[in-house]
Amino acid sequence: MRDFGRRFARNRGAVIGLVILGAVLGLGLAAPVVFPGDPFQMAGKPFERPLGAFALGTDMMGRDVLAGLAHGARTSLLIGLVATVIAVVIATVLGGCAGYYGGRIDDVLMRFTEFFQTIPSFLFAIVLVAILSPRIENIIFAIAAVSWPPITRLVRGEFMAMRNREFVQACVVLGMRDRAIIFTEILPNALSPILVTGSLMVATAILIESALAFLGLGDPNVMSWGFMIGSGRTFLRTAWWLCAIPGLAILLTVLAINLVGEGLNDALNPRLKHL
Amino acid sequence: MNEPHSGPTGTTRRNFLRTTGLATAGAATASLMVRRPAVAAEPKRGGTLVHLIQPEVPTLATYMSTSSPVSQAGTRAYAGLLEYDFDLNPKPSLAESWKVSDDGLTVTFKLRKDVVFHDGKPFTSADVQFGVMEVLKGVHPRGPGSFREVTRVETPDAHTAVFRLGNPAPYMLMALSSYESPIVPKHLFQGSDLRNSKHANEPVGAGPYKFVEWKRGQYIRFDRFDKYFKKGQPYLDRIVQRSIADSATRTAVLERGEAHLTGFGGVPYSDAKALGKLPHLTVTTKGYEMFSTLTWLEFNTRKPPFDNKKVRQAIAYAMDRQWIIDNIWFGFGKVATGPINSNLKQFYTADVRNYQVPDGLELANRLLDEAGHKRNGSGVRFELVHDLTPYGEEWQRFGEYVKQRLDQLGIKVTLRYEDVATWLRRVYTDLDFQMTSNWLHGFADPVIGVHRNYHSSFIKKGTVFVNGTGWSSPRTDQLMDKAAVEPDATKRAALYKELQKLLVEEAPIAWILENKFPTVYNNKFADVIAGPLGILETLDQVRLA
Repeated sequence: MRDFGRRFARNRGAVIGLVILGAVLGLGLAAPVVFPGDPFQMAGKPFERPLGAFALGTDMMGRDVLAGLAHGARTSLLIGLVATVIAVVIATVLGGCAGYYGGRIDDVLMRFTEFFQTIPSFLFAIVLVAILSPRIENIIFAIAAVSWPPITRLVRGEFMAMRNREFVQACVVLGMRDRAIIFTEILPNALSPILVTGSLMVATAILIESALAFLGLGDPNVMSWGFMIGSGRTFLRTAWWLCAIPGLAILLTVLAINLVGEGLNDALNPRLKHL
Repeated sequence: MNEPHSGPTGTTRRNFLRTTGLATAGAATASLMVRRPAVAAEPKRGGTLVHLIQPEVPTLATYMSTSSPVSQAGTRAYAGLLEYDFDLNPKPSLAESWKVSDDGLTVTFKLRKDVVFHDGKPFTSADVQFGVMEVLKGVHPRGPGSFREVTRVETPDAHTAVFRLGNPAPYMLMALSSYESPIVPKHLFQGSDLRNSKHANEPVGAGPYKFVEWKRGQYIRFDRFDKYFKKGQPYLDRIVQRSIADSATRTAVLERGEAHLTGFGGVPYSDAKALGKLPHLTVTTKGYEMFSTLTWLEFNTRKPPFDNKKVRQAIAYAMDRQWIIDNIWFGFGKVATGPINSNLKQFYTADVRNYQVPDGLELANRLLDEAGHKRNGSGVRFELVHDLTPYGEEWQRFGEYVKQRLDQLGIKVTLRYEDVATWLRRVYTDLDFQMTSNWLHGFADPVIGVHRNYHSSFIKKGTVFVNGTGWSSPRTDQLMDKAAVEPDATKRAALYKELQKLLVEEAPIAWILENKFPTVYNNKFADVIAGPLGILETLDQVRLA
């Protein structure tokens, strides 16, 4: 474990990413304490400039932009994490089965996965949310539904490579059951690429959520960064901060997650272990 | 704030806000100016006006579609029996004069003798008879309502048309504009399938501009009709109509002078405000008087909590209408007091319960207490789902405002956003809603636009934009029934004033604002908005400035 920390810390970018991500996480966690109540509440006059009565100004309805940013951080991280966890679980089960059993099961599962891969993922997410109505659970579902296929293929590849390794064959000979082999033997060994891909998936999920909210397909009861940008874009010429501030937040968060993902890759990649 | 910009010829100006009584203008509305032309000797001739129409025009058949883009495009070709001034008084057009008999059952129109259609054939009373009985009563969406009492149209001579009515129909005279009731040439339509006529999209009328070509997806072109019955008019050579899907592009094109005119939501409210500050553009809210549009919150009065009048009144009290107008509609509105728009001066009364009061929230809280909705431990009285009108940003902002405002009353609101079809089905077919925002035109007479929202005969499952609240009472039904057939204007007005009092007291709807749509035009042109239908007039008076 200390080894892991040392290798992670060697990547400067990853540490910076971790700091930013920690800050965003802290902001999100602190939101209900620092900005109690609804972030939609009209706190002051509309269109107050930043660094005035409100640190980051107010929007067209007089809502505190900083409160929105803090509550939006919660939403973005929550959606990103939950959607990714769902996608990874689906992908691990399907990809694991396909890779482990091969043959006809593999064929069926892979054709099924490819079917989803042929649909442009963002358009598919829009369609799902539009049909299911924009509520936060539907948005999470839609993001998970478009995110699992690439991870599935990755997991399958890992499992196929592992399937014929000696330690797995030894387990088979010992009479271990398939489920035990998959979950206790192969999965731990395949975990690092899944973790790395999953961490990047969080960033993608945040972007999808923001894009949906920007298009007006966010949950109207939940504050999010995409919503802030979408509602502020009409005023881009008169109130730049309405788009710029949440835009910057998305940029930094996604960048941080990518940096951390990179660091995880460095730390978990066995080929880099001797460094 | 900023002064109205003066025109190149030193035009007289007047502050539009004052004339329409747009109260407490504030920062948001100061730029809504309309310029009056100088009393010039000879109007300039020539020029091409580019009109941006939003959304895309589906057909030019204004005799069978009243949707906004269709009317904006097709009305150029047609003339109507009457025109109207800004106070909604009828003026001669194809009809030189008209007379309503004392019993209200006969309306006689004397027609102009010098009118020809674009194909050169003369216009006669036969065209009126055919137009009303076959076309407007047959295929027009609102015609069967406007002309429902017309049993026959007699044509004693080529220039007299006599309408025989089953009951008096005072509202009929308000439905004879070129927009509402275009007169089509009988000789081109008779015996053909009206709905599939080739003249649907190649209109032939007696209007000021004749149709030239329609390049689908690019433009529609109308040129001056030289034999138009108003001598010397129209002044423009040509009107070109274009559709641009993206609102930011529309704003930019107007700003750069590549297009000269748009209205009815052609540019977002926030942009309209900014465009009004440019020296070469004028933004006006005149020219919608005949639409009498209202925006409101609509309650499902069939179910708790809104089966209780006190709860409805509480919500009506809780809304700060001026804040909503200033911050969500960017000043493009006026506080609404009841079911009839104040444009309809002869019917409107402000002498009703006033919900726009400074202590509205306190009154609302008291009413909710009286209604038995006590606050629980966490201060919540009850929960509510509010459906957003899925028509764009201001509706979403409005919903967010409602949610925050009702939160102060202890009503926990969840917002629901669905696509248009789902929302319409929920409100008008499934009746599965508690409260929704909405907006409807009231048009030029309450019979045409107001009755449909409050009369029990309009509680029609599956029909959209009718009485969605499910509210009715024998007394209000009776008042509307009487007013519909009352020929005496004063008595009619009295009936409507009583109706307004009753409805406002019952509050099946919380009326929020009278919409003022911005029309943007380039100052190269003058006399652009000359009547209560604005850009849906024939535009025969528009000229180069």
